[in-house]
Amino acid sequence: MRQASNHVRFFLSVLLSVFLLVPLAGCWSSHEIEERSLGVGMALDKANKSMTEKEFDEQEEYPKRNLITSTYQLITPQVASSTTVQGGSQQKAYVNMAETGDSIHQMTRELSLRRETSIASQHLKVIIIGEALARTYSLGKLVNEFLRDNEIRPSCLVLISKGRASDGLESKTAGEIPAFRLAGMVENAYRTTRILPPTSLIKLESNIESGTSFLLQNVLSANGEIKFAGAAIIKGKTNKMIGFLNEEELDGLTWITGKGKGGLVKSFDKKTGQLIVYEIESMKSHIEPHVKGNSISFNVHIESEGRLSENWVVSGNPLENQFLHKVQKNSEKKVKHLVRNTVEKMQKEYKVDVAGFGNQLRIKRPRVWMRVKDNWDQTFSEVPINYDVKLMIKDYGTSGSRK
Amino acid sequence: MMKGSELWVMINSNDRITTPQATVVVINFILGTGILTLPRTVAEQVKTPDVWLSVILGGIIAMIAGVIMVKLSQHFPEKTFYQYSQEIVGKWMGKLFSFFIIGYFLVLGGFHARSLAEVTGYLLLEGTPKWAIIMPFMWASLYLIRGGINPIARLFEIILPITVILFLLVAFMSIKIFEVDNLRPVLGSGITPVLKGIRTTALAFTGPEFMLLILAFMKEPNKAVKAVLVGTAIPLLLYVITVVMVIGAFSVDGVVTRTWPTLDLIRSYELTGLIFERFDSLLLVVWIMQMFTSFTVNHYAASLGLSQLFKKNIHPFMYGVLPVIYLISMVPRNINDVFKLGDMVGNAALILFGFLPVLLLIISKIKGKKYETSL
Repeated sequence: MRQASNHVRFFLSVLLSVFLLVPLAGCWSSHEIEERSLGVGMALDKANKSMTEKEFDEQEEYPKRNLITSTYQLITPQVASSTTVQGGSQQKAYVNMAETGDSIHQMTRELSLRRETSIASQHLKVIIIGEALARTYSLGKLVNEFLRDNEIRPSCLVLISKGRASDGLESKTAGEIPAFRLAGMVENAYRTTRILPPTSLIKLESNIESGTSFLLQNVLSANGEIKFAGAAIIKGKTNKMIGFLNEEELDGLTWITGKGKGGLVKSFDKKTGQLIVYEIESMKSHIEPHVKGNSISFNVHIESEGRLSENWVVSGNPLENQFLHKVQKNSEKKVKHLVRNTVEKMQKEYKVDVAGFGNQLRIKRPRVWMRVKDNWDQTFSEVPINYDVKLMIKDYGTSGSRK
Repeated sequence: MMKGSELWVMINSNDRITTPQATVVVINFILGTGILTLPRTVAEQVKTPDVWLSVILGGIIAMIAGVIMVKLSQHFPEKTFYQYSQEIVGKWMGKLFSFFIIGYFLVLGGFHARSLAEVTGYLLLEGTPKWAIIMPFMWASLYLIRGGINPIARLFEIILPITVILFLLVAFMSIKIFEVDNLRPVLGSGITPVLKGIRTTALAFTGPEFMLLILAFMKEPNKAVKAVLVGTAIPLLLYVITVVMVIGAFSVDGVVTRTWPTLDLIRSYELTGLIFERFDSLLLVVWIMQMFTSFTVNHYAASLGLSQLFKKNIHPFMYGVLPVIYLISMVPRNINDVFKLGDMVGNAALILFGFLPVLLLIISKIKGKKYETSL
């Protein structure tokens, strides 16, 4: 009797072990990484079929509306192995494929009809949206699929391209991957005031959901090279793009928000007309809303510390405080000019608040904000804004020379 | 009073746990699905950045309910709720209440198993069928609880520090995308929105109810109040950190659209230069462990209840409830049904562990006095 139960126990435990082996191995519906293409970048444009696609469609066409062309930047197993073997030779390190259609997700799946390796999007770094597309469709619709996807991470960056977005995914440098180049450039914000804080998919969603207007970094491309230049304005009500801030205006905007991490202020000495450069070490801005009855106004206090980093004024002696003071005043004037320029552009031309004035009103006067938030962009365009700028030159680098 | 044949129903005197162990069990039981969904569910109700205040108030309410449950159980040393409820309200009512509570643990267990399958099925093990995720999970739980409350408590003691350390690590690393403006203004629309969220947050703290059963296993039941207070305070702290970091990163407007906001928080940043760049799997690991602990408690509590009600050995019930829990976990047809099931369990908890213990405590006090006066 006892022995029989021992046998049963033994049998049961063997059975259980076998059952457990199946799920615990963890290779249920696994896909080998060597057999997948990594999607690292994506560009969305207004429909413009590639030559290959046109030829395919002449022979046989799947019923779909041709509204959007999405370009996928892939690192395929073949490309990856050939570039590593030859030590990053003259070959391109990526493959771009274009697909035209109406649904973002369907276009992605169409790739499985054209390649043996399926696409894996866990490493998608950037999504560039072309100007023409961003002006016609709400961003909420364009990124809808990305926000639901289980592979695409919410940390993926979103950029706007003046001109065709797919050009931003081209490079002529061997071994360079354009999507990584774009993602890396965002990290340079400590060197210039003309790079916006990065907007990832998740931050984009917060902006879209909040209904306020916001900015996205704009990228230009020419001859396989790219440049960050200004920012695209997205109107909160429609979530469509309505225009651009140029580079100078973006500079001014960074001063208003105080979110810059570094950069330069170039101004010219009044008397000699010679060049003076102030390098920003830190930047702070304080937007203060004032409400009296129904009238709202803002005071912007901008403060910055930095150094004199270039001086062409022969008579100027940085060892004297008097001169440093003069440089400060000069640079302050320049910053004020930048700020005024940007405020005018926002209020007069586009009638949108993309500098976070509304956000400060929401924080400091929540009840007033509740009243005005539905029509804030319109209200904002007529609100008086005062600003003062205080720059402080702490040092002049390793040289006190006047020449 | 007890017949010899009923002795085995009594708690084995060796199978006892210390006060810190009881605390750890309560903490592990509280932390479950809520930690992934709380920022959304509470933001939906509150709609202002003051959600963290709601979480604190909800935690305090859970503590009060926990203390009441402990006080009730302390009246009946060495007995679980299943046993003493019959003494308070009579055999049939007591049995009815016990059945409700057993049902609650079964449904909650099913809910935990299903949430686990939903999250891992979409974000970790895409393509793996739900049963293949749930079943090994259940078998491991069975293996653990067969040993009684002691092995459960010891395993939980190992799991808890891992959870807390890894969770705090990944939560604080999201500082890169944290914006303090998203948490301001504080009380901008007054206290009313905060109060609206309390119900949701209090339900995220379901877990102290295990005190109704576990007190009988404690070496020092007089310290149970401390256990339940600390046991609720630590999840409270973790919850506050979670909602602050999530709202700080996503803003209230952004968080209401995310199905699993806490997981998205970890998916929303990458740190280069470390060995790992992405930490979502780290969070999933600790979360799955937490789901396991919560599930185990449900599994054990339901089996214990049945064995004490029918006065039979607990082991067959441990096997027997597994298919029931599995079937319950398969009832919701889609993710909305899953969340609805969670709400339903929460509402049941409100009645079973919010109102019922107060009622029973009052009745037992009155009865106790009568007994004294009749002497």
